[in-house]
Amino acid sequence: MSDTSIPAVSLVAGPGRVWHRNAMRWGFILLLPLLIVGMELAVSLIEPRVLSLRNVVNVLVQSSYLLLFASAQMVVILTGGFDLSLGMAVSVISVATALVTTGLAAAGAPIWLVVAAGIAVGLGVGLLVGAFNGLFVSWLGINPFVVTLGSLNICYGLATTISGGRPVFNVPDAFSRLLYDGTFVPGIPIPVTLAIVVAIFLYFLLDRTVFGRALYLIGNNPRAANLAGLPSKRYLFLAYVTCSLLAAFGSLMLTARTGSGEPNLGGSLMLESIAAAVIGGVSLQGGVGGIIPAALGSIFVTALSNAMDLLEVGGYVQQILLGCVIIAAIFLDRIRVTGS
Amino acid sequence: MADHSTTADTSLTSALKRIVRSYKVAGFLPVLLTVLLIAFAIFIPNFLVVKNILNVLRSSSYLVIIAAGQMLVLIVGGFDLSQGAVVALTSVASALIMAGLKDTLPGHPDLIILFGVLAGLGCGAIFGLVNGVCVAFLRISPFMVTLGTMSIATGFALLLTSGIPVYGMPKSYVEGFGRGLLLQLPTAFYLAAAVVAVMWVMQNYTRMGRYILAIGGNIQAATVSGVPAKTYLILAYVICSMLASVSGLALTAQIGSGQAVINAQLTLESIAAAVIAGVSIKGGVGRVEMVALGAILLLTLTNAMDLLKIDPRIQAIFLGIIVVLAVALDELSQRRAALV
Repeated sequence: MSDTSIPAVSLVAGPGRVWHRNAMRWGFILLLPLLIVGMELAVSLIEPRVLSLRNVVNVLVQSSYLLLFASAQMVVILTGGFDLSLGMAVSVISVATALVTTGLAAAGAPIWLVVAAGIAVGLGVGLLVGAFNGLFVSWLGINPFVVTLGSLNICYGLATTISGGRPVFNVPDAFSRLLYDGTFVPGIPIPVTLAIVVAIFLYFLLDRTVFGRALYLIGNNPRAANLAGLPSKRYLFLAYVTCSLLAAFGSLMLTARTGSGEPNLGGSLMLESIAAAVIGGVSLQGGVGGIIPAALGSIFVTALSNAMDLLEVGGYVQQILLGCVIIAAIFLDRIRVTGS
Repeated sequence: MADHSTTADTSLTSALKRIVRSYKVAGFLPVLLTVLLIAFAIFIPNFLVVKNILNVLRSSSYLVIIAAGQMLVLIVGGFDLSQGAVVALTSVASALIMAGLKDTLPGHPDLIILFGVLAGLGCGAIFGLVNGVCVAFLRISPFMVTLGTMSIATGFALLLTSGIPVYGMPKSYVEGFGRGLLLQLPTAFYLAAAVVAVMWVMQNYTRMGRYILAIGGNIQAATVSGVPAKTYLILAYVICSMLASVSGLALTAQIGSGQAVINAQLTLESIAAAVIAGVSIKGGVGRVEMVALGAILLLTLTNAMDLLKIDPRIQAIFLGIIVVLAVALDELSQRRAALV
């Protein structure tokens, strides 16, 4: 009896090491939530307003937009790429939607048609951007950096050209009511509701469908994905389309909130979305990530800048601190990968 | 007779072969640039004017210097997104030092300039060192490291100036160096030519050039064969950032003031110039003379579009398409070569 148990123990590794490994794993999973809570508590000692109901709701609403963009970015980062065009795509979609809705409203179209056309055009433009990126990345095998750098320039040019460089005002109220002001579930702001719905959808897409699981495999080991007989190119293409469609949806929500189409809407979104995803633990090497890391990263980045705003830290200093946080977060991620 | 014709034949075919071979070595970039230059010279009236040529030479000099640095980092398999921010920080730091020393060192413009230049180069060296150490020793993804340092450098540049231009540099620096002509050519041109020459010698005739290529090709193989990979990785990042500083100093001298928001497009342009010139984003491939041509091509196109009075916003669309197409063509021709 004792003879058989000895090799068994040594193969499985000592109970102490298992405990240690589990502690490391849980430590890293809980790190970000603990950091968020700890940061809020620490800030509340100096500035109690940070924990007021109004501010917490505010942070949640803010982070629901970032959640959409970070999870859009996450879908392509899983495959080992990224989307530099995301921010500018958001701009061009916002402007296009605003132009169509204001134009139709001015022409006296029925209000349901105005809203439906606005959403359709927004998602349509998103589809085009995603198809452009996906086509060049998957079928021609060009580096995602170059492709999305190109589409970034194209989207920037289009957004500023069709809007004349100025915001497009007077987006119909019905549009804002549907995606910002109104209520689906009493007590929960619409952006938060929508973000939760998208998050649940993405959870099932990534965890419960062949397409979702395939994205992880493509990011981890593209050759294995090919050998396993997966239609890698089609899935890669679809990943970029999914990314841009999610960004388009986020852009529609932002447009509803501002009530105008803004050519400068997406200026910092590209970097913020990548930073939020990666801070949450989505690996830029591909194959590691999920909706929960993207959500936690978004809440952390939003809570951090909200806390700094309340503490009246200047915008320039915030920029410096954000840079330090990004590097520190990636470093921690590195330790996690090599440590486990 | 017959003998004669065959020798003529062989000399003709050998000449053709030589042309084909040099085309294979140099790629389609020089051909494209020549064709474009001829077309512009014929069809755009103000293109072939001394003033315009000087203009193109000067503006492309800044980009050539930066793109040469970017190329080094791309060759070792990295990225430098912080280049534009380092240019801005260099501009601000050198201008602040020069303006500050104006009263303490009156009558010594040489010393003032020396300290200003040293401060600028110091900024580049520090940021390059941070980038390099994070990439080489902490093994953080270069994309995220330089994203972080970009945020930090921009934050510092804005913090130091509050976004207001810094005036008060010595006249000899601005008039003599920045806007001066030497043998009727802008001084920045000589600076760029020197940078390209030194890099060319480094790439072709020194151990360092071979080491850097080897690291980019396969860092593990390079390490195993005794290349001090980490040292050269850090060196590549330091040189890259310091070249950004050199370009920032020249640009500051030409503008005549230190600016925290100097040219937001510089980083993307430098990557675009390198990529058009066939530098592989995966690392291990790249030649400085081609990168210089890539930078000149980009700015010649911009200049031609300016002369044709094309809206800068639409120019962005063209540039985006050109970058993607250039890389797509390169990729396809490589694929065909691989098949042969």
